[in-house]
Amino acid sequence: MFKGFACLKAGAAALAISAAFIASAEAKVRVAFGDIASVESLHLLTALERAKEKGVDIEVTYLKSEDIAAQAVVGGQADIGVGGPYALVQKVKAPVRMFLQLSTLRFYPAVNSEHYKTWKDLNGQEVAVHSRGSGTEAIMKLMEQRQGIKFSKISYIPGSEVRTGALLQGNVKATIVDSAGRRLLETQAPGKFIILPLEGVNATDEALFANQQFLEKNAADVDKIVESILTTWREVTANPAVVAEWRTKYKLLPDLPASQTAEIVPYFTELAKAKAFPVNGGGAAAAKDDFAFYTLSGQLTGEPASLKVEDFWDTRSLDRVLSKVGTM
Amino acid sequence: MMASTQADTRVNGPARAVHSPAGLSLGLGRLFLRYPILSRVVSLGLFFLAWEIAGRVPISYAFPTFFDTAYAFGTMIADGSLISAYGSTLQPLVIGIAISGVVGIVLGIVMGLSRMAEWLVAPLFIVLQSAPMAALIPLITFVYGIGLAAKTLAVIMLALPVIVLNGYKAVRNANPSLVAMCYSFQGTRLQQITKVIIPDASPVIFAGLRLGLAAGFIGVILAELLITPTGIGDLITYHRSVANYAEMYAAVVSIILVSTVTLAALEAFEVRVLRPEKRRG
Repeated sequence: MFKGFACLKAGAAALAISAAFIASAEAKVRVAFGDIASVESLHLLTALERAKEKGVDIEVTYLKSEDIAAQAVVGGQADIGVGGPYALVQKVKAPVRMFLQLSTLRFYPAVNSEHYKTWKDLNGQEVAVHSRGSGTEAIMKLMEQRQGIKFSKISYIPGSEVRTGALLQGNVKATIVDSAGRRLLETQAPGKFIILPLEGVNATDEALFANQQFLEKNAADVDKIVESILTTWREVTANPAVVAEWRTKYKLLPDLPASQTAEIVPYFTELAKAKAFPVNGGGAAAAKDDFAFYTLSGQLTGEPASLKVEDFWDTRSLDRVLSKVGTM
Repeated sequence: MMASTQADTRVNGPARAVHSPAGLSLGLGRLFLRYPILSRVVSLGLFFLAWEIAGRVPISYAFPTFFDTAYAFGTMIADGSLISAYGSTLQPLVIGIAISGVVGIVLGIVMGLSRMAEWLVAPLFIVLQSAPMAALIPLITFVYGIGLAAKTLAVIMLALPVIVLNGYKAVRNANPSLVAMCYSFQGTRLQQITKVIIPDASPVIFAGLRLGLAAGFIGVILAELLITPTGIGDLITYHRSVANYAEMYAAVVSIILVSTVTLAALEAFEVRVLRPEKRRG
């Protein structure tokens, strides 16, 4: 009899605790990353810390891929996702909207100079990209179109570091790598590889997105996050070296190995020089660029001109913040 | 036919009491008994109906209806993408299963015959069989890269332990009276193995092969999802990344379909050739 009561009590207590958890989870803004945290996300982590200082309760989770982060947001297990869910919004009419551009695609087509020197040399040759339907594939297809050449085959090697390694070992002769890969090529084999020129590619790599309902209900929190990110981005662009200081100040990625710690400043310096941080948060202009780019990559279907910004973006928060901090 | 059915029900007397004595259920039961295929069709039909309803609710934005999936399946067969995908998925599967089959059966028989070999090899395969392979597959890339060799190895890692352990148990548990009989007829050790032990063990060895193939399907899909996306793995990842969920589900269903049909065909072959006594059951 007493045992029964004890059980009941324990059950009630468990219920009360879980209810409390659910309530606190609702007050929290849950941000889902589509990748593990690395040097490349230090500025974003800093901006989120600053938003916390302004009173937004943020909880960050790291998921295996952008797809899963997007599913988490659509399914309500996360509030804000990091990624570019254009296909999800268009094809299944998911009620999520992007509200801030975080980065644009920064990739470098690299070729082995023993075999190729220019884009024209790649005519009829094989190139390696990340995966089918990826941004890297779209960039290579775009250049194929612009240069009037035709690759014999596009092969898929996921992971920029894997493609960089394959290039260094001579397993591939032409591929596309990220800025870390580019720097590795330059330090490991100076002069052996040529980075082909890439102009006018300005598509979103990562953006923040959330459920429309969340954006309506939590406008104040969203504004604080957007403002933190915009001001942080502007500071990084003005002085990239400050990211290393922020890491110590906010105790971000404390377990980072020394070799990667040394990468922080060069990485952000290079991106700042290339003006890779969208200091005005993207918005409608970014959406228009994305329509052109992602219809080519197959993420979006239809004529770029027929796609509407408001079907993919909710720029209200960005507009409010820009009117406060000004555009650059 | 009718008489034999009645005879069957009489033999299984107690079971009758469980069923309602008359009416629809008995009629259906009799119908299913006579045409076993009917019950499978009804079972699948109900499943598809539930799927269609769940897709229409919808339970998730990423969950297509059954008809959308079936349509996507049709278009993927028509445009050849599904067929060419199987062209590349089956390569590591066939090579891996062939290697696992030969190596597995030989190893299994040797282990079954020799205690020494058993002590040496069995623990490794018992550990491998219970290891979470999905966690080990990414490690293959560190040694074997991302090509066909790595995927074949993934198939072998999943299929080989099952085949080896089945073969070993089958040989170890060969009927001792038959072995004794061979001995009394002055059979040599070689005759004992080739004429008594292996034929007696062959049904279980074959069952091991069938289970190994099922594990091989898991291995090849894991490899294609975790190493590099090719074949069916590529269709699943690509269609997921561009939010073509109907196509993604069609690819997933197709691999289930292919593995089910292959295993059913193997089982039919097994029953027909190796275990005629099972046909009656």
